[in-house]
Amino acid sequence: MVLAEHLANGLIFSSIIVLGSIGLSLVYSIADFANFAHGDTMTVGAYSAFVAFGLVGGLGGSVLGLPFGFFVALLVGIAVAAVVAVVTEKVVYEPLDIDSIGLLITSIGVAFIYRALIQMRFGADFTRFGIQPLRPIEWLIPYGIRITKHDVAIVVSAAVLVGGLHLLLQHSDLGRKMRAMADNPDLARVSGIRTDRIKLWTWLIGAGLAGAGGVFLGLYNQLSPRMGFNLLLIIFAAVILGGIGSVYGAMLGGFLIGMINQLTPVLSELGALLPLVPDEFGIPVGIEYANAIAFVIMVAVLLVRPNGIAGEAT
Amino acid sequence: MSALTDPSEYWADLTRPEQGVLVFVVGFAALLLVGLLTGNLAPTYFLYLVGLAGMYSLLSFGLNSQWGFTGLINFSVAAFFGVGAYGAALVSADTSPIAGGFNPVVGLVVALGVAGVLAILIGVPTLRLRADYLAIASLGLAEVVRLVVLNERQWTNGSAGVRGIPSFFEGWPLLETFPSAMANLELALPGTQLVLGAAFWRGLLNVALVAAFVGVTYLVLKRVHRSPWGRVLRTIRSDEDLARALGKNTYSFKMQSFVLGSLIMALAGVFYAHLNLFVSPGDLDPVTTFYVWVAVILGGSGSNRGALFGGFVIVAIREGTRFLNEFDWIPVDVAPLRLLLIGVLIVALMRFRPEGILPPQRELIWPDAVDEAPSRPKSAVREVKGGGDDE
Repeated sequence: MVLAEHLANGLIFSSIIVLGSIGLSLVYSIADFANFAHGDTMTVGAYSAFVAFGLVGGLGGSVLGLPFGFFVALLVGIAVAAVVAVVTEKVVYEPLDIDSIGLLITSIGVAFIYRALIQMRFGADFTRFGIQPLRPIEWLIPYGIRITKHDVAIVVSAAVLVGGLHLLLQHSDLGRKMRAMADNPDLARVSGIRTDRIKLWTWLIGAGLAGAGGVFLGLYNQLSPRMGFNLLLIIFAAVILGGIGSVYGAMLGGFLIGMINQLTPVLSELGALLPLVPDEFGIPVGIEYANAIAFVIMVAVLLVRPNGIAGEAT
Repeated sequence: MSALTDPSEYWADLTRPEQGVLVFVVGFAALLLVGLLTGNLAPTYFLYLVGLAGMYSLLSFGLNSQWGFTGLINFSVAAFFGVGAYGAALVSADTSPIAGGFNPVVGLVVALGVAGVLAILIGVPTLRLRADYLAIASLGLAEVVRLVVLNERQWTNGSAGVRGIPSFFEGWPLLETFPSAMANLELALPGTQLVLGAAFWRGLLNVALVAAFVGVTYLVLKRVHRSPWGRVLRTIRSDEDLARALGKNTYSFKMQSFVLGSLIMALAGVFYAHLNLFVSPGDLDPVTTFYVWVAVILGGSGSNRGALFGGFVIVAIREGTRFLNEFDWIPVDVAPLRLLLIGVLIVALMRFRPEGILPPQRELIWPDAVDEAPSRPKSAVREVKGGGDDE
């Protein structure tokens, strides 16, 4: 019974991580550097949606306990995050003449700029979307699952976005070009693909998904200027676990890391849940180390299988 | 060719950026002196700032010997700093949850020992990784260290932090009572009768301590950087495969450089514990790591002088922005302004001067090699450089 609740929470948290990790993985493979500003791109999306929601408010009817205005705000958040990332690419990254390490360091500066500007405008405190928190869904409580309609909305919206990306990658011209470029940029270029344009599209899509992830994170928890940066390392862990450059790996890695993160409380009572294991067996790790577990997994993956579970073994 | 015996030639021999930095440093020191004399800057606070600047310089030295010498992207500066600070605090403070009350020198030794062990533990798995993976992995492990410090209350007091840390000189024969003895001394300056309190003299002792730390570290690193060992590190930085082809065990060299740098960072942490007399898990915040990175890149990766300079600039930014609070016409809070300044500085540096302000040039050459070289080389490098000053 307890397990069901943790699994449900894991699913919600994974949805957010997956949205973040896809974008990070795309940019990592196509722009070829570890983008430390990705977490703060999520924050940008969340706060843009916050402002937009304040403007449109409770527009029209509601779906899953969320007014239509929220979905408008979600679209605004996605759009602003995408535009901000593309502008940053054009203004900051593109004129640079340095290696991927230099780009990595630059992205830390970009992350600080995003966060500082948000903090100047909105202050360092936590805020919430002006949406009434809901009670858990009644008919699920007997099963030990306490989730709200909002949580369902998060999972469904994330699934729609990820499904849309899948269709885009597999069945559109742009998707084919992106996959070609992630595979081998030079080969893609000599085949006549305009790699610069694909790179911009990659930023647009990656940052847009990150913006959506940020909005959902704000709905799930709260908004604060540090929300994205705090999540960044977890997303890196997901990307590395899945294999850098693989979108489907990032989905899988994000799902696993999100699940493990929320299942941490179960670890100490593992013996009671698993068959064939003595009841007393358990890994005594407190919930405060949920993030630490993800980081340790990340380092272990880097050591044992640097290409991740979905990458090709070398 | 000393600055004192022949200032004009010394000046002419400097490169453009060196002249700029010299002017900036002299101007900044003059500004501080004016502030001090007009009473806008309390002497005790001034000494605290100097101590803090020395601490950041030490951190920059540590990172420089990892990133600047060997090219290791270490994002766990804050972890080693925190381990140094906590090591010193837990051993010497009387409220320590483990076994406090020891002489601070014992704390120094213990802190460095723990940091060395931690460096090996982090280094063994991560130093084999590709450069950008090392960055992510070290940042992750630094977060693990921070979480352990935050949550293991029985060892570290958790988020409450450790109080009651003695001054570094407690238990020393003469220096322990030095501040209180000097507090009664009246200084007869012309015009005024000045009594400086015990806090001032304690601050002065701290500055002397950090000056000793910084001085010794600087000399050691300067010597080490030019040595055959340092040359191997520099080779690894520019081309690790080449170093390996030359028969060097690059993993071992990287490990040595990593441990050396981590020890210096822990030394900075030890000093911080005795400067601030209070440590908390907030001191392990990753933002410290990025401050130190800015210091090293600004100064010039690989340059010890640059790291020293960068450390002082960081404190100027960090503490200087506090003064902006007094101006009412600045409509925003200052904390994000500092972050913005750091961010813009990183981006601007990478855009316009990725090698930093004082990139290592002549400091990598043995002085003998320069003296034996013909004073007028064929390519007329010196004329060009000398002529550049007449613009």
